[in-house]
Amino acid sequence: MSLVYMNIMTAFMVALAGLLMYRSHLMSSLLCLEGIMLSLFVMASLTILNSHFTLASMMPIILLVFAACEAALGLSLLVKVSNTYGTDYVQNLNLLQC
Amino acid sequence: MNLFSSFTLITLLLLTIPIMTTSSDNYKTSNYPLYVKTTISYAFITSMIPTMMFIYTGQEMIISNWHWLTIQTIKLSLSFKMDYFSMMFVPVALFVTWSIMEFSMWYMHSDPNINQFFKYLLLFLITMLILVTANNLFQLFIGWEGVGIMSFLLIGWWYGRADANTAALQAILYNRIGDIGFILAMAWFLTNLNAWDFQQIFALNPNDSNMPLMGLALAATGKSAQFGLHPWLPSAMEGPTPVSALLHSSTMVVAGIFLLIRFHPLTENNKFAQSILLCLGAITTLFTAMCALTQNDIKKIIAFSTSSQLGLMMVTIGINQPYLAFLHICTHAFFKAMLFMCSGSIIHSLNDEQDIRKMGGLFKAMPFTTTALIIGSLALTGMPFLTGFYSKDLIIEAANTSYTNAWALLMTLIATSFTAIYSTRIIFFALLGQPRFPTLITINENNPFLMNSIKRLMIGSLFAGFIISNNIPPMTVPQLTMPYHLKMMALTVTILGFILALEISNMTQNLKFNYSTNIFKFSNMLGYFPTIMHRLTPYMNLTMSQKSASSLLDLIWLENILPKTTSLIQTKMSIMVTNQKGLIKLYFLSFLVTIAVSMILFNFHE
Repeated sequence: MSLVYMNIMTAFMVALAGLLMYRSHLMSSLLCLEGIMLSLFVMASLTILNSHFTLASMMPIILLVFAACEAALGLSLLVKVSNTYGTDYVQNLNLLQC
Repeated sequence: MNLFSSFTLITLLLLTIPIMTTSSDNYKTSNYPLYVKTTISYAFITSMIPTMMFIYTGQEMIISNWHWLTIQTIKLSLSFKMDYFSMMFVPVALFVTWSIMEFSMWYMHSDPNINQFFKYLLLFLITMLILVTANNLFQLFIGWEGVGIMSFLLIGWWYGRADANTAALQAILYNRIGDIGFILAMAWFLTNLNAWDFQQIFALNPNDSNMPLMGLALAATGKSAQFGLHPWLPSAMEGPTPVSALLHSSTMVVAGIFLLIRFHPLTENNKFAQSILLCLGAITTLFTAMCALTQNDIKKIIAFSTSSQLGLMMVTIGINQPYLAFLHICTHAFFKAMLFMCSGSIIHSLNDEQDIRKMGGLFKAMPFTTTALIIGSLALTGMPFLTGFYSKDLIIEAANTSYTNAWALLMTLIATSFTAIYSTRIIFFALLGQPRFPTLITINENNPFLMNSIKRLMIGSLFAGFIISNNIPPMTVPQLTMPYHLKMMALTVTILGFILALEISNMTQNLKFNYSTNIFKFSNMLGYFPTIMHRLTPYMNLTMSQKSASSLLDLIWLENILPKTTSLIQTKMSIMVTNQKGLIKLYFLSFLVTIAVSMILFNFHE
């Protein structure tokens, strides 16, 4: 596989690691989620453009739409948490009170 | 022939001149009230000429000068109808207004806005004359609304007083409800007869005139304070006494009755309308006379007396005697205005005391006012050969001998005796006995304005009935023969009322205070009508609208059914089924480790 794919895959791995391992802020996990989405988008676009598979070229766009939706959802959850506790520290999420 | 139309128009034009010179220097001097009074006296004299021509030759006239607009098939123009009714009413109104203007030069002397007061009174007079001389319903409506507006402005003259503002608003609201009936009648005439002119309406003579006559009856109920829309009239006594004398005794409140009299060719063919008007008038006259029996404010007693006499006029229309009702309008104006002016003289002399329980002994202290009050009360109760006799006694006789509702007749007779009772009450409490007012005496009735105006109306109360009824052209044949007891009926009940009231009033001199009986409370609280209607109806309206619009629609349907219910169910369910403890980092870390291990394992697997 060419170097480009290797590069993008590395970006994906790094962002995945960042999503699953974070110290205190919930926001960093959301940022890494965006990174995952970005790398997926670039990889899909590159593959489709390289193989001239025009029919599937709507897939990255739909992927982008859904990424925006889930980013909004994640941000709203962050805002709810931040409303209750003032910060978005993860150690606050130990009480499942509603 | 030539002078008729020109003098009519001169009369109407003369009255508008003081209004048009408002912006000039004339309005700002202290001479303006005298100027207005003199203008009205000149207008009275010029209006006597067409009246005398009418009396001598029976000539009527319609002046139709300016074509205003034509809407599809109806033509609206400025037209004045000078017939029996307007010819007789205009001089009477101008005479009474002349006296009231002179009186208010004394009464409102210390008011800084006296010029504005006179302007308002003059505007009222102009709109009243527009109403009376109108030949089509549109012009009449202009005058109708005009008197309503001026009534509002004049009742709320002392606008710093909350009661006065409430009373003015009450007058407007009740009049508005009557205006609905007026508009209904106008709409019916427009769509069915294509006319707003009286001549065309009467020429077409519709047979199904129930609807417009009920509309006009509603309009008269509102404007003339018949039962159901009556509370505004006693509340209107918040205005100054000249306002009460002019508007709410002689001129404005008879506008409703005048409207019904104008439509007498329609009412004389409609038995249903006559019965309705008869019963309405009978209820009004009895109820308001009953309310007048226990009031303590001298102006309110006279206001209820006015209301009772208006009910009597309505009864007269109900027995198909419009000309008698009109005669009663003209004679009633004299003594009622004079009664109000006497009460104004008493009020001012006792330093703004209006409660009759705090007056007394004025018989010797104010002889002139005493004389006028007693003459006015006697004229009101129908003492033979005074003014009221010529109209009131004829009405009672006509009612007694006509084929009519016996209950309404009985009510009217009882109300006649009540008239005598409350008149005696006023005389007894205000004039006779020992003084009950504070000892610092400010009694003074020596002013020539006061004395001349009351003198003029006193002569009117004594002789106007005789003069008018001997000079008008006879329109109906009065009932000439009747049994002895029917002829004496009015006089008998009146004398009975006098004796009864005097006896009871004498008995009340030395009683200890006992708590009011239920009947007394009924009469004193005006039959609980204002208490119920002014509180219950708005409360129910507001509660119903709050419940339906705010609670039901807004709070429940729009907010609660979908959005809040969804969120409530979600939270409760998630609390119920969850078994998580948080620990996100641990879960993420285990996920990462699992993925890494599985990727490494399955990469090197074959």
